[in-house]
Amino acid sequence: MVENDTENSILEAHFAAARRVDADLPAGLAARMLADADRVQATWQEVGREARADGAGLWQQFLALLGGWPAMGGLATACAAGVWLGIAPPDFLPDPVGMVVAEQSSSVDLLDSYSLSSLMPEDG
Amino acid sequence: MTARCASVHRATTDPVTRAGIISGPRGARGSHAAPPGDEDAELSDDALVTLFANGDERAARVLTARLGPKAFSVALRVLGNRAEAEDAAQEAMLRLWRMAPEWRPGEAQVSTWLYRVVMNLCLDRKRRGQRAGAVPLDAVADPPDPGQSAPERMQDGARADALQAALMTLPERQRQAVVLRHIEELSNPEIAGIMEISVEAVESLTARGKRSLAAALAGRKEELGYSDG
Repeated sequence: MVENDTENSILEAHFAAARRVDADLPAGLAARMLADADRVQATWQEVGREARADGAGLWQQFLALLGGWPAMGGLATACAAGVWLGIAPPDFLPDPVGMVVAEQSSSVDLLDSYSLSSLMPEDG
Repeated sequence: MTARCASVHRATTDPVTRAGIISGPRGARGSHAAPPGDEDAELSDDALVTLFANGDERAARVLTARLGPKAFSVALRVLGNRAEAEDAAQEAMLRLWRMAPEWRPGEAQVSTWLYRVVMNLCLDRKRRGQRAGAVPLDAVADPPDPGQSAPERMQDGARADALQAALMTLPERQRQAVVLRHIEELSNPEIAGIMEISVEAVESLTARGKRSLAAALAGRKEELGYSDG
């Protein structure tokens, strides 16, 4: 028991000596650690700048939202096809242009064969 | 590591408030890094990591002063080689800098995470056998402690060197456990978390390690100044 206590105290003296000897960080190592920290932070700032430069404006964000230029091409084609179908529809579809023109040119003659002069009372 | 760094969360409000933890330095040792101010020294490791992730340069200085010596000390004792220990400690701190944006305050202790990284780096180095050409520990002058007399410094140096020689005879995991328990003075549960083993396994490793160290040092009592008892 006494021998164990002695061994433990001797070991503890060794550990304490090691703690005292190891206490300081070498100056060069501290500088290298801080230089690494600066580099890592600079990398984040660079990435942030690139991200801002890439997303130049609302148009770029809108385009990205739609799916980029391929999606934009498909959307333009669909719009053009719709416009063309409106102007020159195939035979099995009603002609919207003709319908509009017909509605505008049709008129109803409420008096039909009556003559205004016959409806007007004659004096005397 | 991955379990504690699951998502990116750059702070959008005051990062110190969000991190929510103010504490005193835990076992901070002296350092050659630029001395932090009193306010910075009161911040928890969690808060400092968050501040660093938000671009605060002072946080790097405080973290280096606080955690750098721990990383270096433990690497030095486990690797037994000053040059390799410096490399391992620098690499561990670099991983801390890179991981900072993904750190989740409150989930784990930064120091525990760092110790684990250092231990894994030491194991990797041992496996790769990269010790060729490195300067041995006892060939490098230890930094002098201004509070000690020359004979005391010499005795400390001799005892630390003898301990290191004995440590290097231990199996890797025993050495790690003994260094963390008796030089870094961590608790058994902390060591269990770092080494990812049970507390009982830590106790077993440290007990066996101490017995082996005592046997290795038994023949050098007089030489190391223990002749009085």
